[in-house]
Amino acid sequence: MSLAADAFVSQMAAAEPWPESATLYQPLKEDQILLSDCASSLAVQAYLRMCSLPVQVVCKANAEYMSPSGKIPFIHVGNQVVSELGPIVQFTKAKGHSLSDGLDDVQRAEMKAYMELVNNMLLTAELYIQWCDDATAAEISRPRYSSPYSWPLSNILAYQKQWEVRRKMNAIGWGGKTLEQVYEDVSQCCQALSQRLGTQPYFFNKQPTELDALVFGHLFTILTTRLTSTELAERIKSYSNLLSFCRRIEQNYFEGKSS
Amino acid sequence: MAAPDELFCWEGDWGLPSVSTDSLVVLAYAQFAGAPLKLRKISNPWRSPSGSLPALRTNQKETLSRPSEIIIHLRKQKYNADYDLSAKEGADSLAFISLMEEKLVPALIYTFWIEPKNYVDVTRRWYAEHMPFPLNFFLPGRMQRQQLEKLRLLRGDESLEAGEELEKELYRDAAECMNLLSQRLGSHKFFFGDSPSSLDAYVFGHLAPVLKSKLPNGKLQQHLKSLDNLTNFCTNILLLYFPRDGRESSSQKTSPQPEAGDFDHVPNKRRKQFLSALVALGAMLSYALLSGMVSIQHVQREALEEPPDMQPIGSHDHEEEGDD
Repeated sequence: MSLAADAFVSQMAAAEPWPESATLYQPLKEDQILLSDCASSLAVQAYLRMCSLPVQVVCKANAEYMSPSGKIPFIHVGNQVVSELGPIVQFTKAKGHSLSDGLDDVQRAEMKAYMELVNNMLLTAELYIQWCDDATAAEISRPRYSSPYSWPLSNILAYQKQWEVRRKMNAIGWGGKTLEQVYEDVSQCCQALSQRLGTQPYFFNKQPTELDALVFGHLFTILTTRLTSTELAERIKSYSNLLSFCRRIEQNYFEGKSS
Repeated sequence: MAAPDELFCWEGDWGLPSVSTDSLVVLAYAQFAGAPLKLRKISNPWRSPSGSLPALRTNQKETLSRPSEIIIHLRKQKYNADYDLSAKEGADSLAFISLMEEKLVPALIYTFWIEPKNYVDVTRRWYAEHMPFPLNFFLPGRMQRQQLEKLRLLRGDESLEAGEELEKELYRDAAECMNLLSQRLGSHKFFFGDSPSSLDAYVFGHLAPVLKSKLPNGKLQQHLKSLDNLTNFCTNILLLYFPRDGRESSSQKTSPQPEAGDFDHVPNKRRKQFLSALVALGAMLSYALLSGMVSIQHVQREALEEPPDMQPIGSHDHEEEGDD
């Protein structure tokens, strides 16, 4: 999150090229990672693949505590550590890799606005469903979040996290929302994204940008993650152009290269 | 539609119809959509039906307090300022509103509530002067704690305090957000077409207080003033949709006592004088009672107790007369 530290980092970064040994850290993939973290991590991976920057994914049980901002994911490049998509985009830009150079001012403004739409609505909805829906929190989020730890600590950490997220929801006015209203917000957000995408292959014509990476990360993760209810995925499935958009990015950037 | 809905919002000042962002958003939207609301401008959040401002009391006696809920409610009543927007423009509105919530709102909280000089000199003072007597001692402080808590949760930093580093980061985000809005607006009068929509209401609500308030630390205002189209956008909406407030506030400030020092500008002066006199009187009396004047009261009571003794005799006489 720290932008001031980031500006310093980007000045330092400009000199060095992207190393082969770059690593991306995230929580344990099978037992621990939660929907929202998985989505953010996938967004960063998609972004780096779109830039053709190699990165090795490392799963660590304590990734959240290793991250400089406490948020997932973060990358370790040379002797620098940067977390979250926004700062990572700036970081790669300083190294001369950018996906949004071809856009004009208005397009860039719109791109940034849509990225905040995804953060503001989709990410918040994911957090809400994970921690504020009692069934999901009890069956999935708390057990998974605390899986690497032994008994007393696991409960303490899981409830601490849940408490923190719930306080945040109250502060931003989501505390009083029902699950149905949250699904409605997700629909509204997808509707907006679907309208904006239209029939284009990517959000801004033929070239992907960081917005495409972010949208892909969230939608693909929601579509492929099993929750207590399939409602969230169903909401997205009603927008066919978003589905084909996810498939397109998966095919172009993940299938050929990962094997 | 028998009775119109009632909208409760913060009083205006500085040439604005209201001083709070959320109230401004709702007011602007209602103006754009031409919704006939019964407007209640108050400075006591406890008199609002939801306990916070703004709040809309519908004619079904429902209470809504989030600006987005109020706007949706008005839209359902067919007061829709976004009627002419295409689906893509609607999507863009949503995106830019999110952009402001993520990038501009933290900086606004910081500049009005956390930055020590701004808070003490302007925000706390304004609220303390406008709230009624007992509330003005603790509500501004409580509002500040709530805002600090909100900023901490938004940033995910439990120990966040006012500081140069934080200010720089928040203002950089906010400046970027203003630049993006300015680029999107371009040379148009409103964001979409010739008539204002909900996005215009949100942008106006967030930027107008920055433009019009007189904060000692005015870095955000300086940046906003360098973006001519956004500045014009705000003044234009003020002129077109709130022509009275601009004039009212300037006359309000000059008419009662033309700049005769700020201490003469205290509202509810009479009530405060009366209450302080009452407190002083109470203190004097209790002192008098506690330091030896008790015996005098005792004598008085004995003297007073005599007539009641006589009364039963009198009434007894009456009864006897009645018996006869």
